[in-house]
Amino acid sequence: MRTWIRRPRLDRLATHLVLALVCLVTVTPYLWLLSTSLKFPKEVFTPTPQWIPWPVNLGNYAEVFDRAPFGVFLVNTVIVVTGILAVQLVTITLAGYVFARRRFRGAGLLFGLFLVQMMIPIHATFLPNFLTLQSLDLLNTRVAMMLPFFASGYGTFLLRQAFRQIPRDLEDAAVIDGCGGLRFLWHVLVPLARPTLVAFALISLVSHWNDYLWPLIVTDTPDVRTLTIGLGMFVQQESGADWTLLMAATAFVTAPLMVIFLVFQRKFIESFMFSGLKG
Amino acid sequence: MRRHWLTALMALVLVLAFAAGGAEAQQKLLRLTFYYPVGVAGPLAKVIGEMTDKFNKENPGIEVVPVYSGDYDPTLQKVQTAVMAGNPPDIFIVEISELPTLLAMNAVIPLDDYVKKAEGGKYWDDFFPAFRENSVVRGKIWWIPFQRSTPVFYWNKELFRKAGLDPEKPPQTWAELKEVAKKLTVREGSEVKQWGVTVSGGWNDWLFEAFVRQNGGWLINPEGTKVNFDSKEAVEALEFWVDLMYKEKVGPPHSTWGSTPPDFVAQRTAMLYHSTGILTFLRNSAKFDFGVAFMPKNRTFGAEVGGGNLAIARKISKERQDAAWKFIAWMTSSENAASWSLASGYVATRKSAYDVPAMKEFLAKDARYLVAREQLQYAFGKMMAPNFQKIREILKRQLDDAVDGKVAPKDAMQIVQKQVEAVIKR
Repeated sequence: MRTWIRRPRLDRLATHLVLALVCLVTVTPYLWLLSTSLKFPKEVFTPTPQWIPWPVNLGNYAEVFDRAPFGVFLVNTVIVVTGILAVQLVTITLAGYVFARRRFRGAGLLFGLFLVQMMIPIHATFLPNFLTLQSLDLLNTRVAMMLPFFASGYGTFLLRQAFRQIPRDLEDAAVIDGCGGLRFLWHVLVPLARPTLVAFALISLVSHWNDYLWPLIVTDTPDVRTLTIGLGMFVQQESGADWTLLMAATAFVTAPLMVIFLVFQRKFIESFMFSGLKG
Repeated sequence: MRRHWLTALMALVLVLAFAAGGAEAQQKLLRLTFYYPVGVAGPLAKVIGEMTDKFNKENPGIEVVPVYSGDYDPTLQKVQTAVMAGNPPDIFIVEISELPTLLAMNAVIPLDDYVKKAEGGKYWDDFFPAFRENSVVRGKIWWIPFQRSTPVFYWNKELFRKAGLDPEKPPQTWAELKEVAKKLTVREGSEVKQWGVTVSGGWNDWLFEAFVRQNGGWLINPEGTKVNFDSKEAVEALEFWVDLMYKEKVGPPHSTWGSTPPDFVAQRTAMLYHSTGILTFLRNSAKFDFGVAFMPKNRTFGAEVGGGNLAIARKISKERQDAAWKFIAWMTSSENAASWSLASGYVATRKSAYDVPAMKEFLAKDARYLVAREQLQYAFGKMMAPNFQKIREILKRQLDDAVDGKVAPKDAMQIVQKQVEAVIKR
């Protein structure tokens, strides 16, 4: 027995066409980036755009690594973003649970403050944060790049909403059966809130992968610096960018995220899709 | 047997004690942090690293640690944050129009005493006057020219040939520029395939200052207390822009600083106003022959300068300041100014740098790099004032509106005058 009806041919064709178009629009800049990263400077700005690089220049990638230690930068970036995410998952889950389930005096005000934190622009906070890190003697460390982000107002907000959607009866029943508080949180709520956690993880990873100004201000030496700072070396105000090198460096900086997404995309989509179907 | 062991142990301890004592008597190493921006293309972080390594080797008691700080804006933020946190970098480079900001923060020391004694008193006069102007405020020298530039005029010789113009004769005057630009603008229907001339956006306020100089005028006085935007010269300069970009439509009214060099390389524009800093990029990327010339004159040739200077922080010990000066004097010696210019494409800041053999050799091979230096005789310092970023915003807004035809040049300049006067008075 078929579980769903096959849609008419034309309908499927139209859908595929639209998807192909959207795909083209999204992927084209990246293809141009890859193409430029394999060109010589004289072939980049020809009067008619050249899609296939000819002659091919494999030297750009080598030159990028020669200009700055991108391998070290990659390791540092991975450490920083996974460190931030690991701590964030703990803090937002606990805070989200409290705001969703516990009543106490000042809860509303406190949650309001969490929301306000989301709206404060980074330029207002980086001097106080810098002074804090200086007094803790943590300047020029990887921890310095992570510390201000350990608590996330945005994440707390998302988790609170996710937890609120799970019926109270479920928790009451669990309490009666002897499973309360943290056990309930870990064994029931967190698995049910998985799509939210995955969504938040993606946002956190990508946004902190791209952090530039804060790492630049708080670090001095290449041994702790991150990919974006290295990338910044190829974009200059006075002369415009070093295009072939910039494209090669960008390809390198974005590749890990692309690979992660391509490898795990099934899992990501599955977790969104099946969230509603569990009985 | 035990006796021998004990003796050996005592001997060892004594040796170690003396060795440790000896180590303490070693010279103390003074570590200086040096925040620098990279404003033009090239492996400049590496070059700075190599130069500081050389300095450190020649000066065993001092270790300068170079810290790459991004482009000009992030570098200023990094410097300001460190200064406000009470832990400034000992030496730093910041874009020249930020001097009033640094002075307001009390972040730098005057360098007159050091400068007077340097190179037997001949040091300061060797710098080009146009570059010295942005160093002197209230009669004191606050920082030393290091990575400096000036806008120049680029023209595509091949497109000149195609249009029947003499490829070796770039326009010398505003009137000639307009004529030539009209011949070089190619349209296909209503779309422009090739612009005659592009006056780069992004730093169009910098270029506008040059045009005002070419008209014999000025915009802000050196002390940053008086402004002259509504003068006849400034209004005429804007009228010329509006004529080119709005009336005759031979130039794009809007562009970005980074997009116009590629436009020139892609032959999308036949002539270009841009920094001398892109010359190396153009040389490496263009498949056609192009020339570099003075920006066309109206009443006179005119230009102003740009780039960054070397400063010493205020809130550090005198010992560190002295060491910092040693570094700055070394970096700005004739030889090093020449090699820095060759490696970066910036204009060498000192007259004697052009006598250095490596420089002479290089210029013999490509004389286009000399044009920026030649134009310096007509150049002035870059305009600066407190809260300069705000002033830039005001000026750029009116420039953009004027070339769009939204406001008449005279009215635009009067608006700028009023608003900038209000900013300066604060």
